[in-house]
Amino acid sequence: MAVSQPKQDKEGEECSLLPLVHDIIKCMDKESPDVHQELGKLKAKIQEAREQISAMPGIESSPVEQQQQLATLREQVRTKNQLLQKYKSLCMFDVPKAS
Amino acid sequence: MAAAATVKPTKERLLNVLDDLEVLSRELIEMLALSRSQKLPQPGEDTQILELLVQRDREFQDLMEVAQRQGKVHQEMQQLEKEVEKRDSDIQQLQKQLKEAEHILATAVYQAKEKLKSIERARKGSISSEELIKYAHRISASNAVCAPLNWLPGDPRRPYPTDLEMRSGVLGHMANLPTNGVNGHLPGDALAAGRLPDVLTPHYPWQSSELSAGMLPPHHAGDFGLEPPGHNKENEDDVEAMSTDSSSSSSDSD
Repeated sequence: MAVSQPKQDKEGEECSLLPLVHDIIKCMDKESPDVHQELGKLKAKIQEAREQISAMPGIESSPVEQQQQLATLREQVRTKNQLLQKYKSLCMFDVPKAS
Repeated sequence: MAAAATVKPTKERLLNVLDDLEVLSRELIEMLALSRSQKLPQPGEDTQILELLVQRDREFQDLMEVAQRQGKVHQEMQQLEKEVEKRDSDIQQLQKQLKEAEHILATAVYQAKEKLKSIERARKGSISSEELIKYAHRISASNAVCAPLNWLPGDPRRPYPTDLEMRSGVLGHMANLPTNGVNGHLPGDALAAGRLPDVLTPHYPWQSSELSAGMLPPHHAGDFGLEPPGHNKENEDDVEAMSTDSSSSSSDSD
């Protein structure tokens, strides 16, 4: 957990566009010619984020809907397991011993 | 607003926030560029846009975290779907086996019912062995199946049913039928073989009356009719002579 938290922060920082905007403003303040390059980086970052979002699995539904689907699937697996266990434990072909 | 946000798909929300970020960052940069070129500071507006940009950026990061969690949930759902498919195939396999078992059991039940029916039929028409032996003795005692050892031509004890016995049998009850061609003879081949036609066998309790009556072939109905009293003596002697054949068997008339 202690290891995963910094990683998540890093991922969060990677998603943020503010550092790029900050770099652009700094370049504008300095009147640096790199401002166009920084603007290109921002555009590329936004485009990359769009592609990343399009490729991300499981976000076609809201978290609430997804949790409902997950619960339904778990219930299906549970029901089918119970059904199989029931059929396997029937012992329908055991011949009762004559008393 | 919050309810609508939870209903909307995460992808749509992410793209909307990203569009907002793009628009806000562009506006901010344009505004700053404009303010720098005109040397006119506009402190209020750019701060407001910057706050909006920061807010949207935070929202975007939160949504990205939600999307990553949803990705993990999606993986779990895929595993569950695979498990469901596996269970479905197991259930289908089991269903197939149960169908086969049902078919086998249905066949067994049908055969058992048929057997029970035949047992019930046999029980209804049951006859004791003692009664069978008694009838066998009666048949033997009347010389109906075998001539006495000391039989000679002219001896009234006959190795086949006598007139009286014939009258008391099935054929006796059929005396009212047309008797075309009645000559008192049994078919030569049947007598030569020492066999009597089925219609001449005694009528026992274990034989149904329908069966006995139905056993008479149509073309033999007249031939095997009851011979009238006072029939041809010559024919009778012929029959007697043929019936004394030692090879005659009583197996068919039992």
